[in-house]
Amino acid sequence: MDLQEFRAGLDRWLDEEAGALAADPAVHGSLDAQMAQLSKVKRMAYDAGWMRWGWPERVGGLGGSPLVRGYLGEALTARDLVEPGIYSMTEVLAPTMIDYAPPELAATMVPRLLRGDETWCQGFSEPGTGSNLAALSCRATRDADGWRVTGQKVWTSLAQYADRCVLLTRTGTPESAHRGLTALFVDMDSPGITVRPIETMHGLEEFSEVFFDDVAVPGDRTLGQEGQGWSVAMDLLPYERSTSLWHRGAYLHRRLDHVLAAAPPGALDAAAVGDVFLQLHALRARSRATQRRLAAGERLGAETSVDKVLLATAEQAVFDLALDGLADGVLLGDDAASARWRSQYLYSRAATIYGGSAEIQRNIIARRLLDLGADR
Amino acid sequence: MMDAEERELFAKSLQQATAGTSGPALDAALDDLGWSDALAADPRAAVSLLFGAQGTSASTSSALDRVLLDALGPDLPPDAGVVFPPAGRWDPPGTLAGQSVAVEGLATHRLGERDRAVVVAPSGDGFVAALVDPGDLALRPVEGIDPRLGIVAVAGQAVPAAATAPAAWVEALAAGQRALAHELVGASRAMLGLARDHAVERIQFGRPIAAFQAVRHRLAEALVAVEAADAALAAGWDDPAPLTAALAKALAGRGAKTVARHAQQVLAGIGFTTEHDLHIYVRRVLVLDQLLGDAGSLTRRLGEDLLAERHLPSILPL
Repeated sequence: MDLQEFRAGLDRWLDEEAGALAADPAVHGSLDAQMAQLSKVKRMAYDAGWMRWGWPERVGGLGGSPLVRGYLGEALTARDLVEPGIYSMTEVLAPTMIDYAPPELAATMVPRLLRGDETWCQGFSEPGTGSNLAALSCRATRDADGWRVTGQKVWTSLAQYADRCVLLTRTGTPESAHRGLTALFVDMDSPGITVRPIETMHGLEEFSEVFFDDVAVPGDRTLGQEGQGWSVAMDLLPYERSTSLWHRGAYLHRRLDHVLAAAPPGALDAAAVGDVFLQLHALRARSRATQRRLAAGERLGAETSVDKVLLATAEQAVFDLALDGLADGVLLGDDAASARWRSQYLYSRAATIYGGSAEIQRNIIARRLLDLGADR
Repeated sequence: MMDAEERELFAKSLQQATAGTSGPALDAALDDLGWSDALAADPRAAVSLLFGAQGTSASTSSALDRVLLDALGPDLPPDAGVVFPPAGRWDPPGTLAGQSVAVEGLATHRLGERDRAVVVAPSGDGFVAALVDPGDLALRPVEGIDPRLGIVAVAGQAVPAAATAPAAWVEALAAGQRALAHELVGASRAMLGLARDHAVERIQFGRPIAAFQAVRHRLAEALVAVEAADAALAAGWDDPAPLTAALAKALAGRGAKTVARHAQQVLAGIGFTTEHDLHIYVRRVLVLDQLLGDAGSLTRRLGEDLLAERHLPSILPL
């Protein structure tokens, strides 16, 4: 199925099923409700086939270009059916499993993620390693049946909902840096795992701390080879900055549209509105080119840091404009719409922090794209 | 359409031509290379390669005349010169009154030698191109901040029109904006390259200044600005609506100023002298930004249109 055919068919299906797919109006104030909505939409889209196109047949997909996944997330976001942040875990973790899991494991597990039967999380960051991922210390040691894991993760999105975790562990010496890391696929109901959600500024407990106390993980749950964890992590990041980023761009487009519709006359400055649209257009143009490179089978790398910088900057610009145009509601309103704007405005403050901070992205651009040499 | 090999050969020829010559000599070199035939056959390749190279080498030609002429309509003499709107403007520069026109605008250095000048004016719901004798126009060579650009200021009152023809101004404007955006991106890449090389070579406190994060982040910021403009340009060709051309021009103009600011700071003392080439590019991008709409004015107009519609346009589908 090509993109045009997919687009037309999906749009028709979304129109026909609009009633059944629609979210409860109260969905935005509750992460539980958002997760239930996400599962519902994924299940319906999977059963109708839309969620399966663009994925390989060996993991339950129907094949075809990954571009159609870009359009699926765009369409679901544009119709306000899913929040792009929680939807993005599918686009980030399924390719990792396809590339690195033992084939039988991928064939069993990926369909559950695509269908919304399961939620997965990504255990990378630790209290001592925010930007410096290679320094992580959550330790996995070999035993007769596989691995025993002890340590702590933090900023793990959706951990309290997750059935599985793609977990990055230290299997080498503490000094082995990026060479001594191994990725594991861990069942979140394993004895010894404790999840503690973090209360954040924007009011939704999206992130958690996760504690591992001598957790047993079978050996066949190793993703890639022992010591290959850094490759798993590095290959995952471009996915975060390709299809998921396209979805997030579509979401920002939609929110800017809402700002324009909702702001009272005179509240918005024309130059500021033009500037934000210009930023979104640059993001869309760049992300579109990245999507097309991905679809052509190119290996994405450091150049996606440019996409990430454009996204983070544009996201904050959209919600800065929302604050300008809807100040009364964002700051003082107690209705549901105002609460949603407020939550999203506050969440946008983190856009330059999560997924590789703005500074890290610029370091990567300097080192890898401009070839400026070492920074010390 | 050129295939990859032809394209590469053509790119190389254009790089040599723009690096070695400028002004009338570059026009002659473009004639020898058959650039205007390429423009008709594969406008995207011809425009992106020539104007990108022109920006990188800070050379000049009158190719912008031809880009606008080709888009304006079929009945115009191919060797005519075109009067562009004044700095910062993008509405047509002429006003038609019966069989004569009033005009105020800018043109390339060749206008005085041409047999004909094209002055576009609004007419009813559309636009009309009036053919006038350049001898009937007041032409003032512009020195300004970038004397090497070699443009002229054009003025005329009640200038007789030898003939008129319908003119596709909206399309011609978009074509010209794309060309200028390529030139701005080329110049931006040149400035960034100069700053990058200096940062790697210049030693202070016992190490290259490229080792300092403050310097690295400036250059990274500059690259993001260039890549954003370049992506918008590709989008401007993929989805060639008037709006995407204006957006590309705005991003290229804004990006060039961002790059100029960071490159100037990184190049510091040497970049402030005329011994270094940076100033040539800084001057150039400031004027190119103004041609066919500067970034600030285009952005404001875009915002005004969005506020009038209260709805975002759907452009650039995946």
